Amino acid sequence: MKNNVIFFLGLFTALLISWAGIVLGSNAQLGKLAPYYDDNDSTSYPQWLPGVAAQGQLVYRDLGCASCHTQQVRRPGFGSDQARGWGERQSVARDYIYQPAPQLGSYRIGPDLTNLGDRKPSAPDVDDLLHLLYVGAPGMPSYRFLFHTRQLGVGAQASDHALSLKGALSPPAGTEVVPSRRALELASYLVTLKTTYDYPEAVPLAAAPKEGEK
Amino acid sequence: MKAEYSPIDRASSVPLILLLRSGVAWLALSGVLGLVAAAQLISPHFLDSWSFTTYGRVTALAETSFVYGWLANAGVALALWSLGRLSGEPLRGQGWALGGWLFWNLGVLAALVGIVHGDSTGFTLLGLPRYVHLVLLFSYAALAVPGILAWSGRQRKISYASQWYAVAALFLFPWILSVVHVTLFAWPARGVLQPIIAGWYAQCAWTLWIAPLVLSVAYFVVPKETGKVLPSYEFASLGFWTLIFVGGLTGGRHLIGGPVPAWIPALAVVSCALLLFHTFIVFLNLRGAVFARGVASRLISIGLAAYILGALVDAVTSFHSVAEHTQFTYFDTLQQQLALYAGASTVLFGGIYFALPRITGNLWTSAGLVRAHVGATVVGLLLLLISLGGAYYVQSQGLLDAKVSFATITAQTRPWLLGAFYAQAILLVGNIALLVNLLASACWITDFSAPATFNPAPALETSAT
Repeated sequence: MKNNVIFFLGLFTALLISWAGIVLGSNAQLGKLAPYYDDNDSTSYPQWLPGVAAQGQLVYRDLGCASCHTQQVRRPGFGSDQARGWGERQSVARDYIYQPAPQLGSYRIGPDLTNLGDRKPSAPDVDDLLHLLYVGAPGMPSYRFLFHTRQLGVGAQASDHALSLKGALSPPAGTEVVPSRRALELASYLVTLKTTYDYPEAVPLAAAPKEGEK
Repeated sequence: MKAEYSPIDRASSVPLILLLRSGVAWLALSGVLGLVAAAQLISPHFLDSWSFTTYGRVTALAETSFVYGWLANAGVALALWSLGRLSGEPLRGQGWALGGWLFWNLGVLAALVGIVHGDSTGFTLLGLPRYVHLVLLFSYAALAVPGILAWSGRQRKISYASQWYAVAALFLFPWILSVVHVTLFAWPARGVLQPIIAGWYAQCAWTLWIAPLVLSVAYFVVPKETGKVLPSYEFASLGFWTLIFVGGLTGGRHLIGGPVPAWIPALAVVSCALLLFHTFIVFLNLRGAVFARGVASRLISIGLAAYILGALVDAVTSFHSVAEHTQFTYFDTLQQQLALYAGASTVLFGGIYFALPRITGNLWTSAGLVRAHVGATVVGLLLLLISLGGAYYVQSQGLLDAKVSFATITAQTRPWLLGAFYAQAILLVGNIALLVNLLASACWITDFSAPATFNPAPALETSAT
């Protein structure tokens, strides 16, 4: 390696190839992916996140929720994703086109959240999730810094979304625990998570029958 | 053995010592943060009352401080040092390195403050908030100036493997960072293109930046310590170009089964296998390190063994059927620790033990602290990898069986994670020993070169045996 120019050109070419291959290649394939218009429903899918939910995705990102939760369901037969009720079909690229910051995640220290808004038999609502965020769960920290306690006027009605807490967690008499704006955004985001529409490319793949089984 | 000794080192000592000191200080900080994160995996309510100590942010802080604080500072210092040595002249353009050092570390500090405030981008190895990218880009370019000058103005026409790897790392990182800044932040790509690009960046940061920095240290120190020409050295350039051309294509293995085009993980399988050719050449060239004596070569041979093992593990887990078990589990943590800690950091430790006495002209202040650090590193790493392996096995079995709840998996992985916590604590103790020893040894510079006699400075290597 005596020639500087050729050496640097080589380095640069190598980087260019991997960039062109992976970044430009996938951009050429997915960059113009359009929503899918369903004639029967007269609607196109996926739908935009409501503004508050789009904000919530940024809260999800800045708290690093993706350190423990994924948002990608793998195809039937690959892992236990379907058996755990995380979604009947695999996630596809079209699911994410309107998301400001897709959070695929890479650890499942907690469950996958792709279809949290469509859990069977009953999906959690905003108040359930606020309660979970305040209290935590086995293996999950609490997020009490997203809430504040405030005075309740004499005889006043409790605020919307004031937490109903029992036992040691219940706030002193005359006060209530209310979520901050960020907590509400996060919970509103989580309840909108569902990928229930079957795109042509996402028709559930049946797991291939094992050899000898019919 | 006798340490060879050169006035070249003395003339370039200031920026190198600053880089090494700040690198090891970031390492200790990331050790503290890593310990907090490990404690939170055991008891999730530990320090969960503040937003800045929530698990997601602590892990991002630990990773950023480890990669951009420790690996970058120490790796660049050693790369500059070996480039200067091999060019046969004192480093030119040291002012650039000083400025680069200052702004790089301010940039890393700003990144950590940003993550505390919730500005992390949420991508693996790229938690850096977008506003520090430009600072890091330009300060890294400034840091690289003395290295590039030493390479292009070298006195000998021929060049060595250590130089190729060092120059590649100095030259490529600004390009990688600027490309990812443009495509992810300035004009962000849509949807799953974001994780694809972030995965490409994470892989390039490893194979085109950190791994070359580390290999440049190994290729410099091993022949010096063994006192022999590297065996099969004629293949070294093939190994180098394989890493540079193929390395950037292996990132897709993290996206197996994900909502991305299937050719991305498929390409990763092929390139991971091709990359084993590079790993094999590294093994052929540097296998002599195992037989050399001294702290530096001992650490470097451990690091290289982990590097080779890591490449094999990457290749195996890039297969669909294996990934079904390893994906989304603590195995990812294990792979990362195997590459970045057991592989990269251990080689850099060896490089520091080799280089610092030559840069300062002083022996290491305390041989006891060297022994403590090496011992803690070996014990800590073994315990860490075994614990994470156990945690992975239990977690993977649980995840694959839909009847096992997450509460059960948490309870079952807990004893293993406790082991990982102790391992982090041991590693932290070792790194504090290194920090103290480094600060004590590098607070003055002895200029042996003043009398024009060759002073062999009998034993610059500390022997921990």
